[in-house]
Amino acid sequence: MKILKTCLLVLFCLVAGTSLFAAGQQDSDTTNLTLMLNFQSTEAVTTAFEEVISDFHSANPSIKIDLISGTSDYEALMKSKMATNDLPDMWSTHGWSVLRYSEYLMPLEDQEWASRLHPAIKPVVTDEKGHIYVLPIDVDMAGVAYNKTVLAKAGVKVETLKTWKDLYGAMDKVKAIGVTPVHIGGKDSWTVGNFFDWAAPAVYITDPKHYSGDDLVAGKFDTAKWELLAGLMKEMNEKGYLNVDNLTSTYSDSARALAVGDAAFTFYGNYVLAEAWTFDPDADLGFFPVPAYYEGDSPSLISGERSTVGIWKDTANVEACKTFLSFLAIPANAAKIAGSNGIPAGLTDAESDTGKLKADYKKWADAPAFPYFDRAFLPSGMWDTMCSTGAGILSESMSTTEAAEKMKEDFNRMYK
Amino acid sequence: MKKLQEKSRTHSKHPHITNLMYLPALLLFTVFIVYPFLEGIRIAFTNWNGFSQHYDYVGFKNFIYLFQDKNMYTASWNTIIYGFGSTVFQQILGLSYALLLNRMILGRNFARTFVYLPVLIAPVIMGYMWYFMFQYRYGALNDILAVLGMDPVDWLAKGKRAVGLIVFVNTVQFCGISMVIYLAGLQTIPTMYYEASQIDGANAWKQFINITMPLLRPAFITSITLNLIGGLKLFDAIKAMTNGGPGYASHSLSTLIDYTYFRSQSAGYSATMGILLFAMILLFTLIIQKLSARQEVLL
Repeated sequence: MKILKTCLLVLFCLVAGTSLFAAGQQDSDTTNLTLMLNFQSTEAVTTAFEEVISDFHSANPSIKIDLISGTSDYEALMKSKMATNDLPDMWSTHGWSVLRYSEYLMPLEDQEWASRLHPAIKPVVTDEKGHIYVLPIDVDMAGVAYNKTVLAKAGVKVETLKTWKDLYGAMDKVKAIGVTPVHIGGKDSWTVGNFFDWAAPAVYITDPKHYSGDDLVAGKFDTAKWELLAGLMKEMNEKGYLNVDNLTSTYSDSARALAVGDAAFTFYGNYVLAEAWTFDPDADLGFFPVPAYYEGDSPSLISGERSTVGIWKDTANVEACKTFLSFLAIPANAAKIAGSNGIPAGLTDAESDTGKLKADYKKWADAPAFPYFDRAFLPSGMWDTMCSTGAGILSESMSTTEAAEKMKEDFNRMYK
Repeated sequence: MKKLQEKSRTHSKHPHITNLMYLPALLLFTVFIVYPFLEGIRIAFTNWNGFSQHYDYVGFKNFIYLFQDKNMYTASWNTIIYGFGSTVFQQILGLSYALLLNRMILGRNFARTFVYLPVLIAPVIMGYMWYFMFQYRYGALNDILAVLGMDPVDWLAKGKRAVGLIVFVNTVQFCGISMVIYLAGLQTIPTMYYEASQIDGANAWKQFINITMPLLRPAFITSITLNLIGGLKLFDAIKAMTNGGPGYASHSLSTLIDYTYFRSQSAGYSATMGILLFAMILLFTLIIQKLSARQEVLL
């Protein structure tokens, strides 16, 4: 027994000693960084990051980056990590660099690449004090996603869809050929909220004559305007422009309907096109700017974050992280990652391959872009109210007035 | 053996040493149950968003809002329906299956396995299986209606119907548990009671009412308690079938707490609802305990 105990003790010391030695050796030679990618990162995006990281390792042998791919639980995981203030050195922020993650991120506006940010993404990643917390490698510019084959059959040209009135006209034509004009996958409640994110700028922001952005930021909520917005959803539902199962189908159903030509339009980001192409790679799909609400105003695009990387403010490896971000900001590297998403790069001097949407991006290059409405103009937490009031309208359990009142109530409750 | 006896004597002389053996379990209980529970109460008095290092204490603001929140009332009512609705139907189905399959009939073992099999499936998978049945487009049920020349129905689009269908799915999945409990109970009833009653001229109905039912009381209590707790904390099936929708119409308190914490980023208010759910389960558990104690006295 005594011999066994002695043997075990010697073995333990050997193992512990070797591990400590190895760790010590590694610490002295290399800086280990962790980079977490979010749930939006597809296989192509992860591969692009891996390739860039591999090049980075060759150029900077003293820094090793451990890439962790995101899962569907990414948001919950990051919230837990933030709550315990135990975060990776770098992570991606999926649209929330300012509102959710800025408390934990390091301001980066002093970095060289900050002066090269694409004008469509700069306001999205900049807070009211002018701080920029992430490197936006690409910019998620989107409008109304549509099936080109269906619209051609219905005799609709998207270039003519300047206002919601024009859009309704197009919906009538689509309906006349037996296709559902708009698909909403309301079982995933975010899809209902997303409609408001798409339609709200036209009512509150894009028209200088009806601009309410400053009021919203100052804590004043215009219920009359929200009633107009909610009215759009109600009207579409009543006129039969929406899919019958708009409350029980899923986002994936929307993508499928768009791909196979069962629906003409969806109000999601261009990620819906990527998902639709998984159902039918040959589907002829595209996007166009969201029509204006008021006569005289112009259609606009919605811009948001996609692939971003920020640095934890408490990381012990600040310089190594900044070196990596500078490497990511090299035009060729940014273009590679943006190209894996099929969207424009977030830096003015990087040109990415936007694949099947190249012609559309070129066509709408001059359209004004506005950030996601709720992230820029509503208090944190309002997203849920947008989703639930929208569902209330679709299920006819809520009037447009009640929806607007509920929005105001929660706006006042959550505004700080 | 002698050593064991000596050790046993040592323990009986020093009961405090034996009591120390409870410590690991007590420690785990404290860390994973008591501490989170107390933290939950503290968070209920804050406006914490679930991830920030900064938040304020807001007194009873969350509790006041709790009683003004229509969604909370909907979810509470649904929780009661999921709990009691599933329990009632599971007892009816479980007992019926048990009475039928307690007899010597052909394929009895196969039928018992068939009824119990859904219990082995994860509730979330079961929920999705049924979702694909009820789906408006491509749903199996609507395909059958189409074959019959009928219009498709969006089964889960109406709140009350969605709640009813969730109760149905939960019942179908877990009635096997009740069946097993009642089968075990039926097999403990001595046949002599039935033989004696037959001599006295009792028919099958009278035997069921006067012998089977009273002697199945312990089985009833076990089955009802298990099913009620399962129904009250129903989560996976709701997430898979309706995700709490349309709107908030089919949320239970469990799913609403999850939704409020992670989606609405209102951890403080979510914790307040957690306290409500705790109180609700505590109340029902006390009532069941009281009833079961009375039944034991009667027996």
